[in-house]
Amino acid sequence: MVKMMERNLDGRELLASTLVWSAVALVTATFCWLLGDIIWHALSHITWTFLTTPPRNAGREGGIGSILISTTLILGVCLGVSVPIGLGTAVLLAEFTTDDSLFGRLTRRSLDVLSGVPSIVFGLFGNAFFCKTLGLGFSILSGGLTLACMVLPILIRSTEEGFRAVPTGYRLSAAALGLSRTTTLVHLLLPAAVPGLLVGLVLGMGRAIAETAALIFTSGYVDRMPESLLDSGRALSIHIFDLSMNVPGGDANAYASALVLVVLLLAINGTASWLAEHWLRRRIVTI
Amino acid sequence: MSTCRALFMLKKYAPLVALSMAVLMYIPASVEAQSAAADQLTGKLVITGASTLAPLIAEIGKRFESLYPTVRIDVQSGGSSRGVADARQGLSDIGMVSRAMKEDERDLSAFPVARDGVCPILHRENPVQALTDEQIVAIYTGKITNWKAVGGVDAPITVVNKADGRSTLEVFLQHFKLKSSDIKAQVVIGDNEQGVKTVAGNRNAIGYVSIGTAEYDAVRGVPIKLLPVGGVAASTENVQKGVFPLSRPLHIVTRTSPAGLAKAFIEFAQSKAVYDLIRQQYFVPLAD
Repeated sequence: MVKMMERNLDGRELLASTLVWSAVALVTATFCWLLGDIIWHALSHITWTFLTTPPRNAGREGGIGSILISTTLILGVCLGVSVPIGLGTAVLLAEFTTDDSLFGRLTRRSLDVLSGVPSIVFGLFGNAFFCKTLGLGFSILSGGLTLACMVLPILIRSTEEGFRAVPTGYRLSAAALGLSRTTTLVHLLLPAAVPGLLVGLVLGMGRAIAETAALIFTSGYVDRMPESLLDSGRALSIHIFDLSMNVPGGDANAYASALVLVVLLLAINGTASWLAEHWLRRRIVTI
Repeated sequence: MSTCRALFMLKKYAPLVALSMAVLMYIPASVEAQSAAADQLTGKLVITGASTLAPLIAEIGKRFESLYPTVRIDVQSGGSSRGVADARQGLSDIGMVSRAMKEDERDLSAFPVARDGVCPILHRENPVQALTDEQIVAIYTGKITNWKAVGGVDAPITVVNKADGRSTLEVFLQHFKLKSSDIKAQVVIGDNEQGVKTVAGNRNAIGYVSIGTAEYDAVRGVPIKLLPVGGVAASTENVQKGVFPLSRPLHIVTRTSPAGLAKAFIEFAQSKAVYDLIRQQYFVPLAD
């Protein structure tokens, strides 16, 4: 009887592990296929010249130098605006409002709705508000600010979760030691909440760097080297979209640009975790 | 040891040093160029509209910028309807419209810059060699749903249509005297390349795209074939001769009659100096 049950269990165990492993294999295979396809098509096109020269002949020839600069600037504006605001709002929500206050609930609900809004809606909003109402026109600034609006909900919510994950004991001990709320926040809670912030940052950056719909209406289509933040500048994702969907014969450079985009994304994720390991963690000790 | 290290550092940063020196040397040069061109045209033109035209106008803009270094031509894509709307509201200086102007668009001044043909495309393996206008209408209105009915294999037809607002759709509807609501499509697409890729990936699909795009891809081994319309072979040559029935002019439009920089740019875009750019983007120059 016991043996039979054991065998039965073994069978179920086997089935479960097969299912789990095949799911893992499927996910990994999809990723490897995707990456392999891009690398296979792109590797021969990636040269130093490709990375530094501006596109020519609608992007079929030349490189992506100006596009990379524009993308970096757009991301820079986006992060420069969204990280301080996001961090501030997360601190307010997690540390200074109670769970059941009307303000907290309302803010959280709004953020959850905002994070589900399709990016094209953000694009139209950005076009109406930043480009027209504020008169920024098609510019890197408009694009970065629109992306910041898009990234903020994700950033705030995951940073807030990071703060909430810090045990209450930390706060009580800090208070017992006579530390001010600011000191507690900066030296204790912030470093402890960094993983949450990083998750939000990585997810947000991933969403931002891959964005086409919101950017085509805000930062625009111009592939010239930007001279200021008020110039229109084409983001990498828009360049890839245009090359593969609108420019006959743009495929080779589209693949190469896609590889650059993937590498950029991996680099950003890598940097984010490196920062977490080596810089912010240290602060918790050197109080 | 420390000298060695400093040397190493210098070597490591050599490209950076070279770059910053290049930037420093570039600044006075550009100031000089600016003062030299001060009496010429200067300023910024914002051009928005048809995504079909955007790459071409952007290239023309770049050449124009190289002639007048203080001029900036900003091209934004987004569709012909947007080109008309933006030009009307004054959001852009010039709009791009990749079709003939409509009755209710007489308020705008329109300037043709090039022509483009639109032709039906099939997968290369599809045995059907030609379709009459009636057959195409029947396929797009859902009256014929199997390739067998037009001499092909026994397989359902995948109808690929363009999204509303796209000029290729309007050219297509106008020629076949159809209404957008009559069309029963399985796939709705946006840009030309997307149409080519959709049909190349589906043996039973029929779509229609810009002839320039289709020709370029077909020559380079993408498995599609261009169907003749009304017995005329689909080629850029026939579009230029004016014998291919499905063709459209590509326009740039302004709200008021252009002056100054806009006028100079429009004249440049219509001149022979840009014919090579027009061919490079697989469109047909107006006259030869």
